[in-house]
Amino acid sequence: MKVNRTAGLQTRAGTPVPAASRARNGQVGRGTIVPLPIVILCLLALSTSAFGQAFQERGYIENQTLIYPETTPNDSGHVVNETLLRWEASFQAYSWLKLNTALDARFDTHQQVEREWRLDVDDRSIQRPAFSLRRISATIHKGKFTAELGRQFIRWGKADILNPTDRFAPKDYLSSVVQSDFLGVNAARVTVESGSNTYDLVWQPWFTPSRTPLINQRWTFIPPQYLGYSIQDGGARYPGGSQYGARWNHVGSGYEYSLCFFDGFNNLPSFTASLLGPAAATVTRYYPRLRLVGGDSAVPLPWFTIKGEAAYFDSPDKNNDEFVLYVIQLERQVKEWSFVGGYAGEGVTKSLNPFQYSPERGFARSFVGRAAWTIDPNRDLIFETAVRANGSFARMQYTQAFGQHWRGTAGAAWIRGDMSDFIGQYNQNSYFSMAARYSF
Amino acid sequence: MNKFLAGLLLAATVSAQDARQIIQEVQKRQASKSQRYEGTLEVRSSENRVTTKRWNYLRIGDFGNSKAMLRFTAPPEVKGVALLIVNHTDRASDQWMWRPSIGRDQRIALQDRSTRFFGTDFSFEDLEERDVDQFDFKLLGDENGMWKIESKPRKSSQYTYSYQWVKKDNYTVVKIEAYTKKGLARVIDYRDYEQIKGIWTPKTTEVLDVGRKSHTVLRYDKVDFNIPVKEDEFTLQALRRES
Repeated sequence: MKVNRTAGLQTRAGTPVPAASRARNGQVGRGTIVPLPIVILCLLALSTSAFGQAFQERGYIENQTLIYPETTPNDSGHVVNETLLRWEASFQAYSWLKLNTALDARFDTHQQVEREWRLDVDDRSIQRPAFSLRRISATIHKGKFTAELGRQFIRWGKADILNPTDRFAPKDYLSSVVQSDFLGVNAARVTVESGSNTYDLVWQPWFTPSRTPLINQRWTFIPPQYLGYSIQDGGARYPGGSQYGARWNHVGSGYEYSLCFFDGFNNLPSFTASLLGPAAATVTRYYPRLRLVGGDSAVPLPWFTIKGEAAYFDSPDKNNDEFVLYVIQLERQVKEWSFVGGYAGEGVTKSLNPFQYSPERGFARSFVGRAAWTIDPNRDLIFETAVRANGSFARMQYTQAFGQHWRGTAGAAWIRGDMSDFIGQYNQNSYFSMAARYSF
Repeated sequence: MNKFLAGLLLAATVSAQDARQIIQEVQKRQASKSQRYEGTLEVRSSENRVTTKRWNYLRIGDFGNSKAMLRFTAPPEVKGVALLIVNHTDRASDQWMWRPSIGRDQRIALQDRSTRFFGTDFSFEDLEERDVDQFDFKLLGDENGMWKIESKPRKSSQYTYSYQWVKKDNYTVVKIEAYTKKGLARVIDYRDYEQIKGIWTPKTTEVLDVGRKSHTVLRYDKVDFNIPVKEDEFTLQALRRES
């Protein structure tokens, strides 16, 4: 199979958005830094020396190697190595104002990371940026009122297996569907606490998509009937509008629950394909409108803690599936073991079968389990599994701390199943992993 | 005979009341509206491997009905991890943890409260504040200027009973031996008492996990009481905001 990348993917900017649609959506050029981040970064830099107590930082540098025993039709590589430097800092400027930032610097051997000297601020590139501003925000707190403005991480939901209500949390699925990192979003978040109730309002004026696997690499599954095709990445059509959401959380006596509403766009793409010739096609991402209502709850019982989460995904434009995703899980701690087990389910109310990339739906209809054993203060062993009718995944990870700064991790993931199954289609992607991390 | 039985019953009641009164006096003398300290934990395993952790601790409220926030500051890999503990007088505490890597608070499932806390020799139950009404007490006698008191939990606990040694001169607890069905489980020593704002305060706590043969020494620095602390520093939002 021959997979091409469009010229657009190779440009300095690297944005797959065609120029016309970029102008239409009124996007700022990539790498553009608005004044607020500059001000915050300068303040943080000054604060290191001037205000020691109010300044806090942490971070790590990690080198990870993934070894794939098998190749795939679109990826002949066996070994992928990546180095990540992550630095997070905050500065308490006043009792009511805190400034936050986080920066990533990456390099890898597999062209999953760009080879460009630019600071990314919007996470819209197809490859991972080499230098990325993950977070740059100001947190304002006064009494029951908290607001965070800027690039930040917003997490909703209570379940650990799958979070259908977590709509302001795009993910980076580029190098693995089974282990992904969260991406920040540019948003304004206001939280008000009143007794045992918390009200959360979020407005996100600037859309951040989840990052999907590269077409010419193993985590993009090419159906066998298209293996002879030359498939070009046609980039993405990003929605121009904003999105917003609201959540009410109540903590009661021995239970807690929340209800939420979201109106915006799915951060996971659907695709349109246009044939360029008898065996050539261009695939373009788009992000359909999404309206969601959902809720979650956690109830600690004598033997287990029960957590549940469910959401109804509505397609206001009527061009995508409408469905319910739900999770029910049990959690228990026994001595040094912690167990989580449950079921992630799906009920489709309207099926249009769009061509889409959706790991969260792909992991639905699964029995999922996790067991973690704290061997001693320095060593942990983790087992994870997801079992579907036609596909399964199991992962084991051993991690050990060495002194105050170093940690080594070794693991293996085993994926089996049919090509018709979301998990099973990656049955050639079982891997071994090794990582060394220095935290500071 | 009846007089003898009545006498025995009276003696037992007086003994129980005395023990309860002693513990109430201990709690009364240690009462504070808020507390802060910086803790350094040294965990020494049976193989003599040493791990050091540090946290900042902040508490508000009356004993047994308080809220506490605990934030790790070292080692680097756990920096930013935080725990919110909400104690209740009538039941086990609620606890939520914040991990920066996840970016979300998580309710801690603590069905087994004998679980070790973050790899230390403290169990989660040891960190809880339990009101005097949650125990039955019995005064066992005097030992070297200390009262030896037996306490039995009325509600579910990993411990079947404990012995506490309370100094008579200043009503401070210097030692606890905690027993499970299998026998002695933990020995907790409170040392280096100092008076801070009129409250006798241990500057060192040492826990021995008898089964594992491992020790944890917790040293308290910058201890302060009755400081101005706001309720909104002990909420799920504060857990997220300050980490």
